[in-house]
Amino acid sequence: MRNCHRGGSVAALALVLVLASLASGADFKGGLLTPPKAAPDFALTTQDGKDFRLSRERGKVVALSFGYTFCPDVCPTILAELAEARTRLGADAKRFHTVFITVDPERDTPAQLRKYVSAFDRSFTALTGPPGRLTEVQKAYGVVAEKRVVAGTSASYLIDHSAFVYVIDPAGQLRLVFPFGMSIEDMVHDFKLLLQR
Amino acid sequence: MRHARLIAVAGTTACLLLTGLGFSSTAGAQSPTIQISNAWARRAATAHGGTATGSMDKGGMGKTDSSANGAVYATIGNTGKEQDALLSASSDAAQTVELHETKDEAGVMRMRPVPKIAVAAGGKIEMKPGGYHVMLLGLKRDLKPGDKVEVRLKFERGGEVHVHAPVK
Repeated sequence: MRNCHRGGSVAALALVLVLASLASGADFKGGLLTPPKAAPDFALTTQDGKDFRLSRERGKVVALSFGYTFCPDVCPTILAELAEARTRLGADAKRFHTVFITVDPERDTPAQLRKYVSAFDRSFTALTGPPGRLTEVQKAYGVVAEKRVVAGTSASYLIDHSAFVYVIDPAGQLRLVFPFGMSIEDMVHDFKLLLQR
Repeated sequence: MRHARLIAVAGTTACLLLTGLGFSSTAGAQSPTIQISNAWARRAATAHGGTATGSMDKGGMGKTDSSANGAVYATIGNTGKEQDALLSASSDAAQTVELHETKDEAGVMRMRPVPKIAVAAGGKIEMKPGGYHVMLLGLKRDLKPGDKVEVRLKFERGGEVHVHAPVK
């Protein structure tokens, strides 16, 4: 319960950020972080077993989302939207990278992640790593992830998690937070704006 | 105000997405009081094979992988004079089918099974991402765009309705 409450506060803070910037008349459609801060760096393992380090992504807009492959609803929705957004970016797509980080290292092996993201876009990177390191990354981005054993389902457990998309600009600055349900049109608008600057 | 507009835009987009695909419940069974519209299934990849967008699977273990799940969405209309409820669903595409609801609590998504989904007399309920969905657990095959998934929906009053949900 305490965990739940704390999770709620972090998420509420993120939401306040989003709402604040939406009200401020910024050019961006998503929630703007002002001032921007350097995106917390991390090193994890890709779905192909390769090393990935966020700071090597300079020059690209990175859309960072957190989730787990057991999730059939929210996570695939976000990935499908980001895949569509990338298509709509046209020539800019080569400077756009979607990165999905698991909150479920227990089930999400690289092979499992590879299978999951292959349904959406081959350019996507899906990451896992030692649980402790994943927790650090979650904390750095204010992500809530709570494992729940739930009655009434054949699933052994579910994971409640925050569903924001964190957007990092080509200079490696964390600039925007997208709430779940933001339109693809607005996402593309913001990605283009970041790629122009 | 911008936020309200954002929500409105998101809602409109979802509607456009749904209506744009023109589905029907080309059904093996229909109910006089229950109307299913805008049924669709989210694409998903199992370990068995690739998808329409290209497979990244190289190993192809060839075994049933119960960890690939899917979701089916639809709008359920009830033209009857009494409240009805979706009680359960089944499909040959998955090992287990459950009714789930995702709730957004200040940005934290909490997905839970629900015993039933009520539809008011003369009303309708929209199953959509981030809300109610029919959850397919343990997919037996890939769900590729262009495919259809048959789902049998069982209602408290309206009986059984068969839906062929296009995958997108």
